[in-house]
Amino acid sequence: MGYETQEIAIGNQSIIDVTLSVDSELLSEVLVIGYGSQSKAKINGAVAGVESEALQKYSSPNVDQQLAGRLAGVQINEVGGQPGYDAQVVIRGVGTLTAGSYPLVVVDGVPLSEGSTLSSINPNDIEKIDVLKDAASAAIYGSRASNGVLLVTTKKGSSDKPKITIDAFTGLQMRADNVDYVDAYDAAQYFTEARDWGYVSRDPANRSEADDRETRLANGASRRELRLHYLDPYLEGQPDLTNTDWLDEVFSTAPMTSITTSISGAGEKSDYYVSGGYFNQDGIAVGTSFERYTAAIRVNTQLNKFLNFGINLNPSYSKQRDTDSGDWRSDPVAVSYTSYPFFSPYLPDGSLNISEQIRENTPEDGSLQENALGYASLIKDDKNRFRTFGSTFLTVKPLEGLELKFLVGGDYRNYFYDFYDPSFLGQYRASAPDQAEAVETNIRITNILSENTLTYYKDIGDHEFDVLAGYSFQKEQGSDTQITGTDIPDDNITNIAGASSYNIDANRYTWTLLSYFGRLQYFYKSRYQLSLALRRDGSSRFGDDTKWGVFPSVSAGWILSDEPFFPQSNLINLAKIRASWGQTGNNQIGSYGSQALVTSSDYVFGGALAPGFAATTSPNSALSWENKTSVNIGVDLTFYDNFSFSANYYTTNTDGLLLEVPVPEQSGYSFSLQNIGEVQNSGIELELGASGLQLGPVQWSASANFTSNQNEVLALGEGQEEIKWSTNGGAWVTRIGGPIAEIFSYDVIGVYRTEQEIEDTPHLEGTLTGDYIVADINNDGVNDEADQVSKGAYARNFFYGFSSEFRYRNFDLSFAFNGIGGRTLYNWDLGIITETGEGFGMPTQRYFDNRYHPVNNPDGYFAQPNMGNFSSARRNTRAADIYMQDADYLRLRSLQLGYTFTPELISRFGLENLRLYVTANNLFTITEYEGFNPDASTDNILRAGYARDNFPIAKTFLIGANITLK
Amino acid sequence: MKKILIYIILAISVVGFTACEDKLFQSPITDKSADNFFQTEVEIESAVNGVYATLQSFNLYGVYIPIIGEIPSDNTFDEVPANDGGRYGQLDEFTTVTENPGITNLWRDSYRGIQRANTVLNRIDEIDFEEESVKNSRVGEMKFIRALLYFNLVRLYGDVPLVIEETSNPNDFFGQERTPTTGVYTRIITDLDEAITVLPENQSEAGRVTQIAAQSLLGKVHLTLGNYGEATNHLSAVKASGKHTLVAIPADIFTLETDNIEESIFAVQFESGLNGNSEGSDLFQQTAPSGTVNGAKGHSLPTVSLYNLFDQSDLRFDAFLGTTDEGIPFSKKYKEPTTDPRDGGSNYIVLRYADVLLMLAEAQNETGNTQAALENLNTVRNRAGLPNAVANNQTDIREAIALERRFELISEGHRWFDLLRTNQAIPVMNAWFTEQGRSIRIDENDLLMPIPQSQIDTDPAITQNIGY
Repeated sequence: MGYETQEIAIGNQSIIDVTLSVDSELLSEVLVIGYGSQSKAKINGAVAGVESEALQKYSSPNVDQQLAGRLAGVQINEVGGQPGYDAQVVIRGVGTLTAGSYPLVVVDGVPLSEGSTLSSINPNDIEKIDVLKDAASAAIYGSRASNGVLLVTTKKGSSDKPKITIDAFTGLQMRADNVDYVDAYDAAQYFTEARDWGYVSRDPANRSEADDRETRLANGASRRELRLHYLDPYLEGQPDLTNTDWLDEVFSTAPMTSITTSISGAGEKSDYYVSGGYFNQDGIAVGTSFERYTAAIRVNTQLNKFLNFGINLNPSYSKQRDTDSGDWRSDPVAVSYTSYPFFSPYLPDGSLNISEQIRENTPEDGSLQENALGYASLIKDDKNRFRTFGSTFLTVKPLEGLELKFLVGGDYRNYFYDFYDPSFLGQYRASAPDQAEAVETNIRITNILSENTLTYYKDIGDHEFDVLAGYSFQKEQGSDTQITGTDIPDDNITNIAGASSYNIDANRYTWTLLSYFGRLQYFYKSRYQLSLALRRDGSSRFGDDTKWGVFPSVSAGWILSDEPFFPQSNLINLAKIRASWGQTGNNQIGSYGSQALVTSSDYVFGGALAPGFAATTSPNSALSWENKTSVNIGVDLTFYDNFSFSANYYTTNTDGLLLEVPVPEQSGYSFSLQNIGEVQNSGIELELGASGLQLGPVQWSASANFTSNQNEVLALGEGQEEIKWSTNGGAWVTRIGGPIAEIFSYDVIGVYRTEQEIEDTPHLEGTLTGDYIVADINNDGVNDEADQVSKGAYARNFFYGFSSEFRYRNFDLSFAFNGIGGRTLYNWDLGIITETGEGFGMPTQRYFDNRYHPVNNPDGYFAQPNMGNFSSARRNTRAADIYMQDADYLRLRSLQLGYTFTPELISRFGLENLRLYVTANNLFTITEYEGFNPDASTDNILRAGYARDNFPIAKTFLIGANITLK
Repeated sequence: MKKILIYIILAISVVGFTACEDKLFQSPITDKSADNFFQTEVEIESAVNGVYATLQSFNLYGVYIPIIGEIPSDNTFDEVPANDGGRYGQLDEFTTVTENPGITNLWRDSYRGIQRANTVLNRIDEIDFEEESVKNSRVGEMKFIRALLYFNLVRLYGDVPLVIEETSNPNDFFGQERTPTTGVYTRIITDLDEAITVLPENQSEAGRVTQIAAQSLLGKVHLTLGNYGEATNHLSAVKASGKHTLVAIPADIFTLETDNIEESIFAVQFESGLNGNSEGSDLFQQTAPSGTVNGAKGHSLPTVSLYNLFDQSDLRFDAFLGTTDEGIPFSKKYKEPTTDPRDGGSNYIVLRYADVLLMLAEAQNETGNTQAALENLNTVRNRAGLPNAVANNQTDIREAIALERRFELISEGHRWFDLLRTNQAIPVMNAWFTEQGRSIRIDENDLLMPIPQSQIDTDPAITQNIGY
């Protein structure tokens, strides 16, 4: 009955604004399914959605961060907390090894290029996000849908008279981690112990700590075996010496502000939505910030009985001040762990203290690091991004139930990056003045989409048919030019114009995608449901013979509760079971992945340039899509009217994996890109919801989700058993029968205190006293690779979220938790710098309190500080289990308290609605992880969990308002 | 009306369907494709330049090979052994691990150069050159460079996989084992013999391989293998050609203005301030003592004991060595650049005439021709302002030559290879460590570098050297 009107409406609009009665929410909730939408009751794949109101509980410039903990199967890893950075979005586990793992993001029907930043979208303009998780629902996007599809729908006008809204918030962010380095006095002790033991351990019989500098030099000591010459006052404990806490200097409380205004309305024939937004965020680390202007324009209008026209446009402009994360030359966080507390960031006159640490540390080769605040304030690293994407369409309805839609979409990006490093700022190991450097990057990308679809809806008695057929063509052309200017004589011009010699790196690319697709949905008596879809894609990235792929899918559902035999009761209102099978593809390799490229490699003869070229990648004319087959079985229930439960079990197999296979280097190549290998992901998703409950005067709704995912490698290259990457005594192994990137490391069981102990037990080559005792797991009397033990993997885990909202009169209180379990992380900072005891970087308080020293701390369990004689055994235990950490966490992601003023009160001010709120984001995180960010990892899937680029997550306190004018 | 509209729209859609299939074929816009490269003389010439370019790599003759020839020996030491991942320091102290980045990258870049040479050799046959002699010369140049790269590999790693064809599919190499050194040496000698027959005496461009260079390298190879007769033949031919002489003043050998001087037989070319400062080498910066220039690392500094061994009247003493205020010796052979410390313009001389004379003396001495050996040894000594050597029997001459090579060729990357060749590495280094008060002792397993761990991980058919 009511269905009919709704079906036609779906045909020419992407979302429907329907006032839903609370107890039929599950039935008539409408989700976007790609090239159309459908009510949840009729969807048989695994699709889930989040509304804007839930998203806005977490304030962020990026919508991906708002998704954390909201949807089963969708894991958000904030690998870097810098302003303007994207999070890693993983849908149902990672199903690839070396091809890109970005999900496809489609905004109002326009697919954005993979990896393009979501920070160009103002979250306030978003109405909802639907996620296509299984292959059956994603297959309609075929070759780009293997990693899942995020469908973003922007707001449109709906009210009778023009509605003007203002949404604003402002607040402060601060560090949310527990990393703590020692102060100057403990550091002096640590460095001295390290250098002394380094010196003595080379020849314990003839050397002693008491040897002074001249004696040590005469004995052939290297620079690092001498004590730092300026430390005596600290060792004597003199008070009031320089004692800089660099973490305090580098991090600060930073403001964040956002304001968005919109005007929208709808009439009989058209609707419109126009908005403008401004966002500004300073990063909690100095030298980082993100400022953005956005606008959104959306108009739909009915031209006549047959024709509808629509246009939407989303321009944005952002300015980001950035650092090269993890780079010792510029990233304040990386610099802080090599900055000594004996030096202050400012001179007495208030100016920056440049290069003092480098100069003072040169004679004994300590950490030759420049002033962290100098990097932050003197280096210019600005990224300006202008982007406009949008679409325009025309729909024609020549007959009842038939609709033709012609859509043209585009995405234009124009980025300008400006970098300048002045000569009056030094860099690591080079005190000022040094060579200035200027870099300018110009990126321009144009993406055009042309899409023509035909939909037909017909119902005959108990049968309903919903047919879709379509054709689309998408082309992207990009150019990326980077100009590096050197030989800069002075710093008057802080860009490439001041340079006298240039190095230019120019790249251009084009890719195209041609597709045919179709879908049939059939419903019998509304409770027997079948959906079939097929897509055929051709991509320019693949070899000449293998450009085309076909991606079919089928899904079926059965609404049990509509059956006459189903017991009518209040207990179960809706029971549905569904199953689906489908195939999708992944084409995220470079634009010319199948071709062998020849690049420039120049020489000189007697001082004259001789341009040269050489082949640098190996060819593969048979390169083609990764193919992912997935099966999903699910059940949806609503019971007692207000509760819903949904469960999915899925298993996906990706084969023809695009693998950068390490090949024997005598071939002249180190890697070769091939379709080889197979990976399986399987898991369960559970979702529980409660809405519209009344606990006395309080209304309550809640939802919870839980996802567990396992992956297993089923096959690799021909004759290949495993892909292994070893570093510092740890190994990341991807092998048949195991998960992707399983981490292996040595088990440390103590510290050697005497030479005798070393001789009596199996030990690593080069072990000295003060080094770690490594367990001999296989009892063969020797410590070698066979003694490495599995520590789990970054991606083998389960994750969950729980959120709840209470309403009492005009107050609303909501909170959301999210968490993850079973994750292992190798904290590079700890293993290489701060807890390794090499006497080079700053130690953590935990390391210092627990380091072994025969005299000063004989019960310590961390290895003894040793600088000048850091043994190969120590090097090989840098990735031992003592530095592998559990990165499980439970986090209070958002907590919001709001008050909505009664309409009578505010109408005299010309307001129709006013809600004020306070929010805390990331208020607390319960975790054992010692580093900056438990989500940290790396882009390389084969090394997932090798956490290097750490930038802490911030906790944020905000006040905000939602205002609607009359 | 409605129907006409429908038909018009359907017609447009049908037309739209057929338009675009050929757009699926896209070729790279800013890179060349190997499919249609290597087809004309100009392209082969640029491919040849690309082969020479690999020699400039940081991990080959840019920095690592000049250092690896010195640092394991008693000639030089590393000021801060832990720097740069220990890639130099581990060699200095014989604690080299299989993941040493220097070792790993040297292997990789050597094979890259070999593959580029193989590719040119494979393609050049079908291409018509304007001058046949130029084509032949290029063939010879490629064979020389391939032989040179294999010569380094076999001396450093021992048995290594031998590849002399262009790679069409890298996966074919799984399962290839290391070829015994004898097989590799056979290939090296064949390549050099063939190169000698086609290379010209002179090249129009300074820095290209000449026939004399190939002769010199072949002489060195034979000397390394202990074929003293063959070595003498080839090295004598170099001397007899008269194409190279000793420069009168030692300081003049290593200047930026005359860096392809007549004493230099084959040098890897570098130039400062060219191509966006990318044609220079990092060697100066890496081997300058810490604190002397920006980024100086002090890897491979001449040892104080060698410094003290020099005779004060030796002209080379002041020309080749200096000391910092703190008394740390450094080499003057590589000049400080004016552009950027990493953009050093000094060429790296692979084969020098003084080296040839000393090798010739060594070969002659081993075959009993002490008279000729002394003559050649003294030519080098006299040039340095020193009187004739006092040795007059085979044993003493052998030691005198070894010592002279230290003075003449310090910091040019020879000493470690000399010790290996003369089977003196173990006794000399153990005596050295004793004298320095260090507890390190080496044995025969320390004479070879480890095979890079990444290669063992990639293909178990590649086995590791004993002791690693």
